Parts: sequence; structure tokens; C-alpha cells
Amino acid sequence: MKRRVVITGIGVVAPNGATAAEFWKNCLALKSSVEPIPGHWFNYWRPLSRLWAPLPSIDFEARGIGRVERMQLDNSAILAILAAGEALESARLPFILSDEKKKLFSVAGFSGDRTAVFMGTGIGGIASFAANEGNHILSPCSVRLRQLDVPIDNLADVMRAPNRFNPFIVSMTMPNSCSAMLGIRFSITGPNQTVCTACASGTMAIGQAFEAIAAGTADAALAGGAEYLADDYGGVFRGFDTAKTLVKNCDDPETANCPFDRKRSGFLFAEGGSAVLVLEELSRALGRGAPVIAEVLSSAETFDAHSVMSIDPSAKQIRRMIARALDEANVTPGEIDYINTHGTATEQNDEIEARTIEAVFGTRPLINATKSLTGHTIGAAGAIETAITALSIARKTTHACKNLEEPVRPLNFVTTAGAFDIKTAFTQSFAFGGHNAGLVLREFTA
Amino acid sequence: MDPSYQQDPIFAKTVAVVCEVLKVKPETVTPQSRIKEDLGADSLDTVSLLMTLEDEFKEPISDDTAKTFVTFGDVVAYISSRKTATVTGV
Repeated sequence: MKRRVVITGIGVVAPNGATAAEFWKNCLALKSSVEPIPGHWFNYWRPLSRLWAPLPSIDFEARGIGRVERMQLDNSAILAILAAGEALESARLPFILSDEKKKLFSVAGFSGDRTAVFMGTGIGGIASFAANEGNHILSPCSVRLRQLDVPIDNLADVMRAPNRFNPFIVSMTMPNSCSAMLGIRFSITGPNQTVCTACASGTMAIGQAFEAIAAGTADAALAGGAEYLADDYGGVFRGFDTAKTLVKNCDDPETANCPFDRKRSGFLFAEGGSAVLVLEELSRALGRGAPVIAEVLSSAETFDAHSVMSIDPSAKQIRRMIARALDEANVTPGEIDYINTHGTATEQNDEIEARTIEAVFGTRPLINATKSLTGHTIGAAGAIETAITALSIARKTTHACKNLEEPVRPLNFVTTAGAFDIKTAFTQSFAFGGHNAGLVLREFTA
Repeated sequence: MDPSYQQDPIFAKTVAVVCEVLKVKPETVTPQSRIKEDLGADSLDTVSLLMTLEDEFKEPISDDTAKTFVTFGDVVAYISSRKTATVTGV
């Protein structure tokens, strides 16, 4: 018999909110972060997409991340640390500094062998890798150009690179840095894993943490996703841009990002983000008087085996993933009150996802697309969406799909933020590669 | 080093960086303090210290130069010489 698993803490850093509270408030107010891409990126190519979702200003010092750490960690790991710290605080698990120099903390009743870390990331470390490659490649060029007495001042904006080859680059670019840093910082010595399944990473990481606790491998976990995609040259953006996945109708930043709308033209690239949840075995959570936000009933994964770059139009494996998740949760499609979709705003995803939801769930459940507010944070997206799904259950309200005027299918899209009786919810993510993942969450009742 | 060193702004900023990276108390940092033996820097700390000094003073420190640093006074003397060189255009 599987053990029951509950969410007791949530931390979020998203383009539209530097904390979970700010993120929640801005989502309800339909506030998103959409700006023109950095001007110097135009030095390198002529992008099809011209908008992105930058992160808000974050006071790192005030949130415990000093200069030394910022020079030695990729931003994806820093965002993960911020989200994890907030998640622990919201779970009423205070952390105490145990080693000032190494920045180690202990969390009473949480640190140790019975706690796990499962973090998802798509390409965690990529921005640091790009920066260091810039130094590696361009520094000798600069030296030679100077020797040739070629004026390089007019090339300086193109040849931008950090002054130093970062001695910490290996640990900065390892995708497992996010999960490793959470284990190190909070003295968590149980299973520590990185899930690297592109846009499904965050959902899958939470699913695997759920499975570990349900099976008894661990009693608690930090689980979620983190991503940071803004390399100084716009190369990551260019990759998605060249693949024609990004929003193309960029004339009006406010309305450009419109998942599930007939006018959609691609996804809004996000600078980065992270969400981390505290998951605990139920009796343990209740025993310490933890604030229970929602219960995780099930997780499921399937794989398309179709194309590394596009979703299978038949949605056969998505439907199998949904069926498995519902079956594991012992929930019928009719019991699902709310679905937080993958909802990227690409032509193909939204068409196939909407059609599949209609076929499996009908038109009753509320349908939401959090990416209409955050843009696409890749490996963090599923975790951010699980976080807002849990909060929507706990608070009996949810945000609306921004910019949805002409829905692609006649589903019950949330068009106005407000009160909704959400008891059971489903959140799903699909990914480049062909990964599909979903979680069933429910209002907690003893 | 001249005893008036404590009034030197470069000395004071360098002490602050050492305290920031190595988490030692300012009163324990003197020109004679050996970076490894007295201030407790291991190899990773030494790299962190160099990066933070570069960031603080906007002055690159090559690995070959860094190898010559034994005491805190060596670090201050190097940075002071570079800053003087910058001001005088040497």
C-alpha cells in the first residue's frame, strides 16, 4: 500500500514574481513580464521573435546569496536555492546556519538521510557554459587583434566575454548542480537526483519525489525545477527561434503571448525561473503540525517514441499518461475539476493538447495556461505549474488564461480570476524528446 | 609595510574581501597573516578569494601572480602597485 504524500511548502521565482506570494498575486492580477529582447543580441542574428519574459529584479544579498556564490554558481542553481529556501520557510521548517564559510544550513527534522532532492532542469548551466566559452574563444582573438594593431573597440560589443575563465565552470555547468546545491546547502543526504527531460523536467521531478516518498524510499523531499536561459549572446534564444517555436507576432508585447488562442504564434521565451515544493509523507507532516497545501495522488510518465522535436499528433502516449495518472489516483475523468495545461502557445501543442483534453475530460473541467503569464521556463515550467495548481486547490481560486479571446477548442477555459470549487486537479507537461508527465493533486482531507 | 597601513583604503577593502570570502574576523587579518596557514584558506578558498578581489578592484590577477602570494601583505602590495600603475599610466 502506497503511503500518502502531501505538499507542505512552496517557493517560486518566476518572471512575474520573485516569491511565491508575489507570483500568486500577479497571476491573479494577470500581470506578466514581457519586454523586447536585449538589444545587443541583434549583433549576432536577425531573430524572428523579438520578445521575452525577463525575471524581476531580485535582491540576492537580502535573500542570502552573496557575491561569492553568485560568481561560483549558475543562475539556475541560485534560483533553485531561493525557491527552496522559501519553500522550507512556508513549510515551517526553519533552517539554521551550521557553517558560515560553506553556507551550510541544517533544517531540524528535515536534513538527513530520509529526505530526498529531485530537481528538474532542461539545460541547467547553459548560460554559464556560454559565458565561459565566450572567454575561452574570444580572449585569444582579442589579444591577436591587438597585436595586429586592429582597433577592437568597435568589435567590443560583439566580442563581449567575462574577463576570467571561471575556475568553477565545471560545477556551474553540470545539470545536476541544482539538485546538488540543494542537498549541500540544506544538509540533505538522501537520494539526490536530477531529472533532465526538457519541458517536462519539473513535473517529472515532483512525480519521482512523490513516488519515492509513497514507496518509503524517503520520508520527505525538496522537489521541483529550475532553469536559466539567458546567455549573453542570445544563443539559447536563437536555438528556439531558429526552430520557429517562439512567439512571432511581437508588435504588441501585452497580447503577444496567447496560449490556446487562434492567433497564437509560438511560446514566449522566459529568462528563467524555479519552483520548489516540500513534499512529506502524510503522518510525518501531520505529526509536526505542518501546513498541508494539497495532497499528491499520483504521477505518471510516458514517452512518444515519435520525434525529438515535435509532439505526436495522435497524442496516443499523452492519453496513456493521463489514463495511468487517473488510474493510479483512483480518480475518474469526471472528478477532475481543474487542468493546468502544458499550454505553450505553439500551433501544434495547443491544438493537440486541447483536442486530447476534450476527448478525455470533456468540456467540464476548468482549463488554465499558466504560461500565458510566465512565458516558458522550460525545465522549471512544470514545477511552477504544479505550485500554482496546489495553491489554486488550497485557496479555491485561480488565475485566468491571459489573452485568450478565440479559443482553439470549446473548453472551459478560465477567463476571469475568481473563486472556484477546485477539489481535484491535474497538471501535465510535454517535452522535446517526447516525454509526457502528469500529476493528480487533491484537496487534503484527513 | 608601514604601520599606517590600516588607514589605507586599499588595505581596508582587501580586508573586507578576505573577511567576506574566508569568514574571518577583521582583527585577525594583518599584513603578516599567511593566507593558507593563518587565514585558513584551502585551494578552493584561494580561487574564490582571487575572483572576489578581481571583482572588487576591477583588476585581473593572473594565476602566475597569484602563486606568489603568501601573506595578506603580498596581496595588498600587488593591488596597490597595480592601482598606482593605473593612476600614473605605467
